[in-house]
Amino acid sequence: MSERDRRRLVFAAFAAVLPLALLVALSRGSVPLPMGGVLRSALGRVGVAWGSPLPGTGEVILWSVRLPRVLIAALVGGGLAVVGASLQALFRNPLADAGLLGVGPGAALGAVLAVDLGWAHERFLAMPLSACAGALLALLLIYAIAHAGGRPTLSGLLLTGLAVSALAAAGTSVLLVATEEFRVRTILFWLAGGLEGRGYEHLALVAAFVGPGALALLLLARPLDVLSLGEEEAASLSLPVHGVRILVFGLCALVAGPVTAVAGAVPFVGLIAPHALRALVGPPSRRLLPASFLAGAALVVIADVAARSLGQYVELPLGSVTAFVGAPYFLVALRGQEGRG
Amino acid sequence: MSGRRRAAAGALAFALAAASSVSAGDATPRKVASLNLTADELLVEMLPPDRLVAVTRWADDPDMSNVAGGVPAAAVRLPRADLERLVALQPDLVVVSEYTDADFLRLLEKSGLRHHRLSGLDTLAGIRAAIVDLGRAVGADAAAGRLVARYDAVLAELSRRLAGAPRPRVLYWGDPHTAGAGTSIGSLVETGGGTNVGRELGLTGIVPLAGERALEADPDVFLVTRGSGAATALRRHPLLSRTRAVREGRVVEMPNRLLVALSDHAADAAWWLASRLHPARVPEEAPPARLE
Repeated sequence: MSERDRRRLVFAAFAAVLPLALLVALSRGSVPLPMGGVLRSALGRVGVAWGSPLPGTGEVILWSVRLPRVLIAALVGGGLAVVGASLQALFRNPLADAGLLGVGPGAALGAVLAVDLGWAHERFLAMPLSACAGALLALLLIYAIAHAGGRPTLSGLLLTGLAVSALAAAGTSVLLVATEEFRVRTILFWLAGGLEGRGYEHLALVAAFVGPGALALLLLARPLDVLSLGEEEAASLSLPVHGVRILVFGLCALVAGPVTAVAGAVPFVGLIAPHALRALVGPPSRRLLPASFLAGAALVVIADVAARSLGQYVELPLGSVTAFVGAPYFLVALRGQEGRG
Repeated sequence: MSGRRRAAAGALAFALAAASSVSAGDATPRKVASLNLTADELLVEMLPPDRLVAVTRWADDPDMSNVAGGVPAAAVRLPRADLERLVALQPDLVVVSEYTDADFLRLLEKSGLRHHRLSGLDTLAGIRAAIVDLGRAVGADAAAGRLVARYDAVLAELSRRLAGAPRPRVLYWGDPHTAGAGTSIGSLVETGGGTNVGRELGLTGIVPLAGERALEADPDVFLVTRGSGAATALRRHPLLSRTRAVREGRVVEMPNRLLVALSDHAADAAWWLASRLHPARVPEEAPPARLE
């Protein structure tokens, strides 16, 4: 099999796995729905009558509760994987992911503030919007501080991100200890990552950023590949290194911020998907980014099914499920990288 | 207001009340689901068993619940706020807590489920109002009235017995949280014949308290949850073990189900606490049966 055929096969496999994962995710849950019924119901919605669909409550569960959740899972996974692939090219490090951006702690601070002030209990979408604002403010702060002394280096940008993250984490801790016990539980669930209770409005929020953001990153595939050769080589090829770097960094944060705001912390997805796929589709971003999107989407959809199915009394945190898979993978990949280094 | 105007206003009020009672009667929920322990306790006491379709899994836990053993067997025990199972049960009303997320409530509405939110449970007066509201929402006004009548009778008797008694200064200790103003525990302490030290310190809500401030406050009594290990922790605490209250053994360990009671059982909780703070005036642990 030629290299090209193998790559096509990989794409075809992921293009098949994702719909299958979505179908399984739509049928699994605390109230099981038959896959045939789910399919018939979906066909019925597009005007194809084929046998009897689901009973009334099944229809409500499928269309009002489960579908938005499953689609959010796909967008969260896809978005994080594209961000991971882009950052790995930007930093020329195959173990980079969205955690480097500093938007997670900013989002956490926004979410805790919404809970502490009681907004989350009183106003619809207050928590994800507040988390989103926290993430974007953290991004602006990183940008402003890093540029205060002129054009920052990549390491300067990263270290500024670390410092802003530490500040946001400190603020989160202060608020958490001062928040009423009853409210703390809400924020703990958010911090652990999860998709319970998310509806179409949350889906719209994620889609509004992930769709255009991922597409823009895909359009930057060629500059990303040039950047991955090194800054001097990129500059010698007439690439506006600083501008592209800031643009990629900003787009990654714009995708990761709202994703974190809606789903909480979902670690390792941005690391596993592109890292595993690089060997299958090759390093060029024009192939790696879309393949990572598909793989990341399937991974989080399956992880969410596991989160819903494995816990007896509580739903397992989605972030814990991805960490249980991702942390061992990361350690193995790290050992492999050290072995090569 | 003139007599004629007053009469007209009265007639209008009567007409509105009549209209609203008809409307409430039409909308009386047949099947009710509960998503919090307080509602579990109240609904078990208010509704016939066939109308309560779901309770939380805590309702059967004798450490947490005041109705353990009395929950209808047919009611589904929900381990969490599981929207899919709620939709499958098709309740006419879902009773949620004050702390339920607004996003979850929107999803409930979009799934076609009505909800009633319990609120104002941070004082004993607020709990009374919440019982009446819930009774109205589930169409069980008479049953709610009976609960409230007993609640009032217990608290009135307690107030009579504690009249003029010196009030010990009580500090709730949840290592490191305490209860300030605007909390059910603070209200419980004051109804049970104590003075809430958390409120004295200017605190509001259930908030952390530094050991040094607690030592300086020098409470007469520490109130802790029984079985939580808090009493042992107090005796081993480097600072708080030196307080008079700990040295002299004035640590009241209250059963968890009473300490967290935000239903009509809050009156029983106040009575229990009074029996520990004022044993000469309130010798019985539970209110006498004549108040039933």
